[in-house]
Amino acid sequence: MLKTNQITPEEKKKAFTSIRKKEINENQKLNVLYHIEDFNVNDRPQRFLEAFAAILKHSNYKMALDHFIRMSAKCSRCATTCQVYQATGDPKDIPCYRSELLLSVYRRHFTMGGLLKGRLSGGGYLTDEKIQEMAESFWNCTACRRCSLECPSGIDHGLITHLGRYILSEIGIAPRALVVSTREQLEGATKNTSAIPVPALKDTLEFLEDDMFEEKSVHIKFPIDVENTDYVFFPAVSDFLMEAETLMGIAAVFTVTGDSWTTGTGYFDGINYGLFYSDRMLERVVKKIDVETKRLKGKNVLIGECGHASRSAKYFLPAYCGGKDAFPVINIMEYTYKIWKEGKLKLNPDVVTEKVAYHDPCNIARQRWIINQPREILKSFCKNYVEMTPNGDENICCGGGGGTVSIDEIRPYRTTVGGKLKADQIRKSGCEILVAPCANCKKQLRELVEDQGIDCQVVGLHDLIYKAIIFDDSQIIKKEDEPETLKKEN
Amino acid sequence: MELWLDAAKGPLFRLCFAIMILGLIRIFLLDIWGAYKAYRKAGDKTMPWKLIISRSIEWLFPVKRFGHNRPFYSVISILFHVGLLLVPLFLFAHVQLWRESLGFGWITLPYQWAFWLTLSTIFFAVALFFGRLLNKSSSFISRKQDYLWPLILLIPFVTGFVCAHLSINPQTYQTFMLIHVLSGDIIFVLIPFTKIAHCVLMPLSQVVCTIAWKFPPETDEAVCSTLNKKGAPV
Repeated sequence: MLKTNQITPEEKKKAFTSIRKKEINENQKLNVLYHIEDFNVNDRPQRFLEAFAAILKHSNYKMALDHFIRMSAKCSRCATTCQVYQATGDPKDIPCYRSELLLSVYRRHFTMGGLLKGRLSGGGYLTDEKIQEMAESFWNCTACRRCSLECPSGIDHGLITHLGRYILSEIGIAPRALVVSTREQLEGATKNTSAIPVPALKDTLEFLEDDMFEEKSVHIKFPIDVENTDYVFFPAVSDFLMEAETLMGIAAVFTVTGDSWTTGTGYFDGINYGLFYSDRMLERVVKKIDVETKRLKGKNVLIGECGHASRSAKYFLPAYCGGKDAFPVINIMEYTYKIWKEGKLKLNPDVVTEKVAYHDPCNIARQRWIINQPREILKSFCKNYVEMTPNGDENICCGGGGGTVSIDEIRPYRTTVGGKLKADQIRKSGCEILVAPCANCKKQLRELVEDQGIDCQVVGLHDLIYKAIIFDDSQIIKKEDEPETLKKEN
Repeated sequence: MELWLDAAKGPLFRLCFAIMILGLIRIFLLDIWGAYKAYRKAGDKTMPWKLIISRSIEWLFPVKRFGHNRPFYSVISILFHVGLLLVPLFLFAHVQLWRESLGFGWITLPYQWAFWLTLSTIFFAVALFFGRLLNKSSSFISRKQDYLWPLILLIPFVTGFVCAHLSINPQTYQTFMLIHVLSGDIIFVLIPFTKIAHCVLMPLSQVVCTIAWKFPPETDEAVCSTLNKKGAPV
């Protein structure tokens, strides 16, 4: 069992030093590390309970909470598996303690026993202090759900954190970074979290196509707004800005197979921060994917290299958009694995010589969805592949899970506390290239290796595939076959 | 004393046992009913049964988890549960009582097994109590009932052991036997209302968690409407 040491007092100071101004904390009556938009600070307990009641009424959480309050044995096995608790050593970071913050509110205000006990003792009411503790605690968690595997009672602490964040968001307590991005995605002019206008998207893709032709002498295309394709593509939109090689790898794979795919200009963002802070936003964002796929008359929803985007589409498109009639959702790694297995994808084993390891994104691996497929592909062409343990469904989170990676002001916390165990694991593996098929994991891991001083490059799976892909001779355009215009440009 | 003992073994036992059985049936059915209602509401009705079953079995027979986390605690906890289940259910004297009242019985533990299992259960209950008390993370999250349960469970085991294996005068025997039976009765009553309810709810945990993540459709509009947030910006 991989363990990490507790952080030093100096590291603790660094991780928990808020850059929020003191007067903001006082105005908002909330002392947390992340920024929040201005919100109504009056009657918070009352409004919290109203939001809690409304959510319970219209969701499936109640039966789970009933089950959890009957089951919880407080054995603290979850403590030993939680990477945040291992790093801080603060008992308030024990997943079971965190869950109890919300379960106690539920027990007191929403069960007969709690109401009776409250009447008799005259106490136990929800207070501002408790809301403060929840606002802090639920966002210290990376929502990796690894603790849920270790709970003998089967309590899903990740579900409780998820619900706690949702209720808090209904009274205005949610990280500004996530809210602002989601607002742009749902109500903004660009309709995506990175605020990329469609002309800029088109320019970027054209530029990448030119780049790929220069490098590979193959016409690799990013089809846009093509109707009736097999796959409508939704990557984490930040990939268009920051992960060009991942996108180029994906386009190269489609060039090899010749399958039809497209990116839609109506909506092209796979990111869904709703998964991290609000089910209402989760539903709205998922529905946009459905609408765009219908507009383009596509057959399948294809999600790029992104853990939470994949999970939110895979599990919540059927939930919100028609059950078994919803569009099938496929992660790009599943597609690539399928065509690799069929022998359509050839990879050069002499290109990647460095020591390579694979990082499982929690949102993809925890439910044992995609674990072996990328490993098999990597092992086939990376001579020096090493495995990090634990892995698969028991993987260690990058430390930026649950949306925390997008909250820039808590970077010191993420790279000192949240990602400490991951940093130890990366160091132990000695890998030079770490493959992380998730936009969030990549961002966090890059910041982590930088802040922890680890010499390791973080890339996506398709970045390496792009390097090693072997095209059919018929696809390679020799210099003499090049159109005159291109020759001049070159 | 004999009258008290007869009452504790007779009508009181039947009452307490009935409360336990009915209480456990009640919470089990409530759990199933809650899960069924949630499943009906869910937009996505696919269930990953293979994963649910494999994870449920992993925890019902947690051999795979021995070396994972807190191995010492895990082994003690599992062995404690083994004794806790086997001794009351398969002790010769207990089965004999069932045979007398129901007209049928079942296999019983050999004498030596019963002797060592009882002793080990007593030992492991004490170990669990101190394990909780001395472990920083466990003690921080523990409630009163978490400390009390190992101690309450000790009572019938210790008194039963004394009655079965030690030479004591009849008066003391009667006293110990009364405590033994009464503590058993109290435990029966407490089971459905405390964390020991996990004895029937545990197999449902993975199903409940899976269904809880199956969100109902159109909750955005419904929650907005209840909270008067219709048309409010994101």
